[in-house]
Amino acid sequence: MTPTLESLATCFQGILPAQFFTCSRDGIPNAAYVSHVEYVDPSHVALSFQFFNKSRRNIAENPNALVMVPDPDTGQGWLLRLQFVRSETEGPLFDRMALRIEAIASYCGLKGIFKLRASDVYEVVSIDAAPEEVSAVPVRGGVDQDAAALLGAVFTTKALQDLARQINTADTLETLVDAILRGLDESLGFRHSAILVPSEEGVLVTIATRGYAESGTGAEVRFGEGIGGLVAEARKPIRISGLMRGMLYALAMHKQAQIPDPAARLRRRGIPMPGLANPESQLGVPLLVRGELVGVLCLESEVPYRFHEEDKASIELLGSYLAIAVQNMQLQERSGEAPADAVTPAPTRRPGQSPPPNGRPRRDVVYYAADECILLDGEYLIRSLPAKILWRLLNTRESTGRQEFTNRELRLDKSLNLPEWKDNLESRLLLLRRRLEEKVPDIRLVPRARGRFALEMACDVTLSVRP
Amino acid sequence: MIDAQLAAFLQEGVGIHIGTRDEARRPNGARAIAVQVLDGGAHLVVYVSAVAAARLMADLESNGQAAVSFGRPTDDRACQVKGIFVDARPAAEGERSLVAAQWDGFLGRLEQIGIPRVATRAWVTWPAVAIRLRATAVFNQTPGPDAGAPFTGAGPEPGRGAPA
Repeated sequence: MTPTLESLATCFQGILPAQFFTCSRDGIPNAAYVSHVEYVDPSHVALSFQFFNKSRRNIAENPNALVMVPDPDTGQGWLLRLQFVRSETEGPLFDRMALRIEAIASYCGLKGIFKLRASDVYEVVSIDAAPEEVSAVPVRGGVDQDAAALLGAVFTTKALQDLARQINTADTLETLVDAILRGLDESLGFRHSAILVPSEEGVLVTIATRGYAESGTGAEVRFGEGIGGLVAEARKPIRISGLMRGMLYALAMHKQAQIPDPAARLRRRGIPMPGLANPESQLGVPLLVRGELVGVLCLESEVPYRFHEEDKASIELLGSYLAIAVQNMQLQERSGEAPADAVTPAPTRRPGQSPPPNGRPRRDVVYYAADECILLDGEYLIRSLPAKILWRLLNTRESTGRQEFTNRELRLDKSLNLPEWKDNLESRLLLLRRRLEEKVPDIRLVPRARGRFALEMACDVTLSVRP
Repeated sequence: MIDAQLAAFLQEGVGIHIGTRDEARRPNGARAIAVQVLDGGAHLVVYVSAVAAARLMADLESNGQAAVSFGRPTDDRACQVKGIFVDARPAAEGERSLVAAQWDGFLGRLEQIGIPRVATRAWVTWPAVAIRLRATAVFNQTPGPDAGAPFTGAGPEPGRGAPA
């Protein structure tokens, strides 16, 4: 039975390289690898055109082509006889293919170098099974456990119900983001994940991660950078399978182009973005509520081809659900906030009075005003709004002895310059709390009630400002 | 045509495909299992499983044009050898170990990039047809702007995870 092009969607992931056969006008055949075959519609595929090469010249002379693509799930090879139709240099197909290439290039620090010139669209004239590349999965008959494992379904109704149950137990933004990542791990098997939120500074900040040696809380990426940044920019899910293949392809291309060390050009950051050393597949999901970007969920796996075509709809649905959950929690935390003056009385110590010597450690906290950045004992702690918040809390505590604070008073504090609408304060406080837990366990932000928290300190601090 | 360094690369166990074309210049192609470089690099024997060779033989016998691509999965180092068909015969039992060793090397490299052997274990490699070609040109096909330029010999295989 001849399969339909739709049923071959799994072949178009670039896991196993596709082979592209063409022939020149004077009858010389050409065989070349192609990095990317894209499904277009039930009778068309598109091939990425990145470089002028022999295949491209042949197609200009002779529109007949053949592409051989193995199905990475089953091993079955397919021969697609093609006829060149047109080249597209803009539009949804071009954007989709360019985005995937950019995501891979961005991951390798090669953004802008590894570029799609055109999406070449071909009509699929015929589809035949390659008799030398036979499926490892029996069509009928005995169950093949190894093959079944390769085909394992991920987004089952049961798994999604389990995830929803975990998420529904959360009562704060902090427990919610943790429940989401734990649920994705325990119910869906996504062991490595991160949630990033957009910040006032036009970057994405990591507020929660799971499955990494370093939590990476506070790590930032710019819009358009890495899979998270690309998802935020495009506001569309991006799925990259065979990432390693794509990266190797990018590296081979890069070596050929002899461009000096690309990694050196990557901007150094205070906190490195957590990630697997060798991810095989990645998935980025925008968390959108009525068009507003609440955050980005990033999943990655060492298993090639972890995210399947048929998972796409479930993933998008999951993204909207998580986005609504996150936004609701932010609104709920805000609406239930304590009034600005609802704090416990300050201790008896008078402003400016030195605390008694008690043998507690003393920490050196320096605020760099120009960079809006705090260094603690000479080490980078945090920057931007969370840094300004911590600086204000530490100064208030030092000058008045007050230990409890409310979200509302931070909102009303003009020096923090929070936007009046959608200020993301909760996620900033969550980020600050986590950075402190990791770096300075003797300075803690402890929730007291909804919208109220204490700055608890098991150390003394010396505060200084530098330009 | 094929120097010793290039011959070593072609025979180390890489991904191989052979392309042909019919009288209407419609391309055909198949996966190959192994190659053997002969006569000081003047000739190439391409081993193709018999089930796949069947769809190439009419092309080879009518116009003789062939292109063989080689790609190392671990670093995408690739080249293409153009050739003219000389003859074809069933691969001999005595050649089976040579073919199997190269095939095993290729599957090992696929494993290194995360393609388990279970996915490819049903691929047919034997019986094979030994297709002899006279090599006429060699081109670099490592992805990048120099793809298509004359090939300059094989380089070292970088380790996994090399991308910086």
